[in-house]
Amino acid sequence: MSASVILLISACIYLALGVPVAFALGLSTVTALLVSGGFPMLVLLKETFTGIDSFPLMAVPFFILAAELMSGGSLTNVLLRFAGQFVGHRRGGLGYTNVVALTFFSGISGSALADAAGPGSMMIKMMDKAGYDRAYAAALTAATAIVGPIIPPSIIMIIYALADDNVSVGALFVAGLLPGLLIAVAMCIVNWHVSKQRNYKGDGEHPTRAEIWRTTWRALPAILLPVLILGGMRAGWFTPTEASVVAVFYALVCGKYVYGTLQWKAVPDILWRSALLTASVLIIIAMSASFAWVLTIEGVPQAVASWISGMQLSPWLFLIVINIFLLLFGIFIEPLPGVMVLVPILAPVAAKVGIDPTHFAMVVIFNLTLGMITPPVGGLLFVTSNVSRVPLSHLVRELKPFLWAHGVVLLMLTFIPALSTWLPRAMGFK
Amino acid sequence: MKNFERYFLAANRWLLIVTLAVMAVIIFANVVLRYTTSQSIEWAEEVARHLMIWLTFLGCGPTLRYGGHIAVENLQDALPGQGAIAVRALIALLLTGFFVFCIWFGLDYMDRTRYQTTPATQISFAIIYAALPVGMLLTLIHWLLIMKRYVLRREFASDSHFDATASASL
Repeated sequence: MSASVILLISACIYLALGVPVAFALGLSTVTALLVSGGFPMLVLLKETFTGIDSFPLMAVPFFILAAELMSGGSLTNVLLRFAGQFVGHRRGGLGYTNVVALTFFSGISGSALADAAGPGSMMIKMMDKAGYDRAYAAALTAATAIVGPIIPPSIIMIIYALADDNVSVGALFVAGLLPGLLIAVAMCIVNWHVSKQRNYKGDGEHPTRAEIWRTTWRALPAILLPVLILGGMRAGWFTPTEASVVAVFYALVCGKYVYGTLQWKAVPDILWRSALLTASVLIIIAMSASFAWVLTIEGVPQAVASWISGMQLSPWLFLIVINIFLLLFGIFIEPLPGVMVLVPILAPVAAKVGIDPTHFAMVVIFNLTLGMITPPVGGLLFVTSNVSRVPLSHLVRELKPFLWAHGVVLLMLTFIPALSTWLPRAMGFK
Repeated sequence: MKNFERYFLAANRWLLIVTLAVMAVIIFANVVLRYTTSQSIEWAEEVARHLMIWLTFLGCGPTLRYGGHIAVENLQDALPGQGAIAVRALIALLLTGFFVFCIWFGLDYMDRTRYQTTPATQISFAIIYAALPVGMLLTLIHWLLIMKRYVLRREFASDSHFDATASASL
């Protein structure tokens, strides 16, 4: 048996047993090499280090840290009030507020779980108090938190850009803007429909103009962060990694002097939390580097590529097949290992079939992210169920209309490439 | 033993805090200097990258301690109590073996790269590659400290500042 076959089979066994993903990847690499012999163990260690010895990758810890520094209690309040003043008075107003606030918040954080666990959990409490079904509030939050990794900054996009040389972090960040807004709109439509059915009332108060100005002024520093990141990268002021570290110090100044919620003695705990989150991400990247090396050295990506291109699929048919495959794959595998293992294999094939790399990246990222809320398993489902104390089964029942809406967005994203490619081109990102 | 665990964890925690803080300060200082004095710190990028390698492996153990490494646990949920314990015992064995393996080969790798030096700072690569054996040794210790609870009840340690369910899921 070839090393790749042993590698893939043993990886499946370890994962099914419940070995943590990072170690399952490492263990299966070791198993493949021990059983098949032939490969020097030291090359493997070298690959493990090479996987994380990367300056672009450093944007991951810094964006995590920036979001942790920024997202104190008061910022969440400010964003909620800011979102509420535009949509709060309508029927289903708090639902819209939740969607809009999470969308803004995803311009600060790079991950879906940060959105769901932070402002999401606060929103669920508020909606519950205002007479919404708690399970509905939780489902809305989980479904909307998906925009976290779609709207820049996005940790998964940084990692995707490392796995595929044909896309840049800048282009992916910008490419995520329109799809992110589209998701937000889709969630608002579902909220409109459900609120009408169940007659969820708005709060009925129109804020005065002076209040609107004051709230907007307060929210401005937070809203400007993504503008600073994207603008700075576009203008050539800094690389994505430098942008991320600028975001760290911007968040530090905002939290300390603008919002006044950050205390110096809380900083070590924030660093500690960010370091652990970083390690949990990077260890997977390190281990999957040597895993992927075994596949590459045996020519598996090339074999898959020639097998698929031998089928003479049209780009559309290829995308449909990929969508189905990724949706199934995403149910069990989290986006991060998904990107690390699949992108080196699939991205070259997609490019060969004639699909724009940025478009393909958005399809892959959205698909894998959706896996976090598709039952029966999904990281976001667990987190939301945890923070809202809504049983998983209730959450999943209320999630149904949102999943349909996501399905429609996915189809649009798949079949209208311009949604992902127009804005980066128009803004001059490559 | 309780005392050992407390000091051990505190040491690991502060190492991580300092490493991440230094990374951020170095890279930020480099950006600021480039715009204010139009000079760069030539070793900044290299040192920060190597600190990130250390951060990864030093953080591996505490993350394991809090259950922050994501896993697919459907099979265990589907099995009756005894069966799930047996599966977790097998996992415990596999992970222990893996950590020992990494320490062993990590030391070997250090030994072989000892005379190569880094481009900017001219230090031995062994100092950077020591991150793997050292980190995995710490991971092994963390693992042995929580292993019994994990096997019997799938319990991890908890920390008020770190929500393990939020890790590695992006």
